[in-house]
Amino acid sequence: MDLSIANFAQIIIACLLVIALMVGNAVVMVYVERKACGFIQRRPGPYEVGPRGILQAVCDSMKLLGKQIYVPGNIDWILYFLAPVLAFFPVLLLYLPIPFGRHLTAMNVDEGILLILAFSGLGVVSNILAGWASNNKYGILGAARAVSQAVAYEIPMIMALLAIVFLTGSLSLTEIVERQGSWPWQWNIVVQPLAFFIYLVSLVGETNRAPFDLPEAESELTAGFHTEYSGMGFALFFLSEYANMLLVSFVCAAFFLGGYKGPFMDGFWWMFIKAYAVMVFIVWIRWTFPRVRFDQLLNINWRWLLPLSILNLWVTAVIVRFI
Amino acid sequence: MIKAVVDNLKGLWSLVVGLSVTGRFFLSPQKTVHFPRDVVGPEILESFRGPLELVPADDQGGSKCISCQMCARACPGDCITVVKGDAGKAPKEYKYDFTLCCLCAACVESCPAGAIRFSHRVYMVARSREELRLDLLADLRERCGLEPAPAPAPADKTKAVA
Repeated sequence: MDLSIANFAQIIIACLLVIALMVGNAVVMVYVERKACGFIQRRPGPYEVGPRGILQAVCDSMKLLGKQIYVPGNIDWILYFLAPVLAFFPVLLLYLPIPFGRHLTAMNVDEGILLILAFSGLGVVSNILAGWASNNKYGILGAARAVSQAVAYEIPMIMALLAIVFLTGSLSLTEIVERQGSWPWQWNIVVQPLAFFIYLVSLVGETNRAPFDLPEAESELTAGFHTEYSGMGFALFFLSEYANMLLVSFVCAAFFLGGYKGPFMDGFWWMFIKAYAVMVFIVWIRWTFPRVRFDQLLNINWRWLLPLSILNLWVTAVIVRFI
Repeated sequence: MIKAVVDNLKGLWSLVVGLSVTGRFFLSPQKTVHFPRDVVGPEILESFRGPLELVPADDQGGSKCISCQMCARACPGDCITVVKGDAGKAPKEYKYDFTLCCLCAACVESCPAGAIRFSHRVYMVARSREELRLDLLADLRERCGLEPAPAPAPADKTKAVA
């Protein structure tokens, strides 16, 4: 890819659109999450602000904007303020290789998934820095958990994605989507159900969502790594959590669910429908299952997901090579 | 090995069952009541313990109370004061301090005459402590329609909110 002015402008515009998408996504998901939680617990959820509580998320974000930023004593100033920024900005880059259409990609690189997997690691770094810099025992514990959880769950996640890469022979997300058909039985989920399942489980672990939200387990660690963050610092973590959720849902849609291809008419709407279906599923899981203990979390990964993903990868490799 | 696999498959199935339960709850009607727009029915309030009230013996404002002081003695919070009347067993005064009451029902259970019970006033509002120091005899007469509500009248407020 040559770095011409046009390309540069394209990336700038894409970044702006991605920021808009991230913020809009967070506002929508806060509402969806609270409503879904309410319905599952058989109560209405947010109801008073605006018709049916639609404006609740807007009010919440206004509240976060207006809050005092309270800084605890004896912190590491540079790292403390770097961490939320570091949580937020790498996500911008991660959205660039996502294909929303045949040509609707901000940066159509051949190593798209490699880029995403490499830079998503920065999110964990920000969690560690936040926990370490805020000079708080809960923060440190949350950070320590974030490390071992990220190390554990990235491996089966990558293995599951690699199985698809083996089948397709390409690391480009556009290419992977192009290899799938429009109808559900032509999607990769049919060929690789086990990889899909492994990806789905490690996706929840990777985004620190319940039941795998150990780094910020409220009942044990108050808020884990972001205990000492208030106002916009917290809002950036919050935003990046939802942005990461949306990102892994997009990757899930592109890899397993046919991406922008769908029945009747291909287009970016299918990408969004599929990604948000995965998001709603994540929310559904969150309000169904209790949080696992930390040893259980690691046992699930090391004893089941990892061997299964290696087995799956091996079988895929053999099939691709000899059949 | 096989047992572990079977156990884990069963565990996975239980996750699916859990999802189906919450999914069903998601779609089924809500159980909550939006208070200012809607109130709960009396059958739900059957088991609600509001402030004490005297059981009417007749519709003349008379109570079953025999002024035996058992309730005042049983009360762990000392919130009941009964003063015996000059003639007969009927009390002259039955004061009840709701601010001290822990709704333990020791008084209700100790009463030999069955003269007191918990009311079902769920929408009770008070703006001062004084309003929560209740005169149960006046309250009983008021419920029988014999006496207009006195100035600090919690019963009246209850009706206004409900």
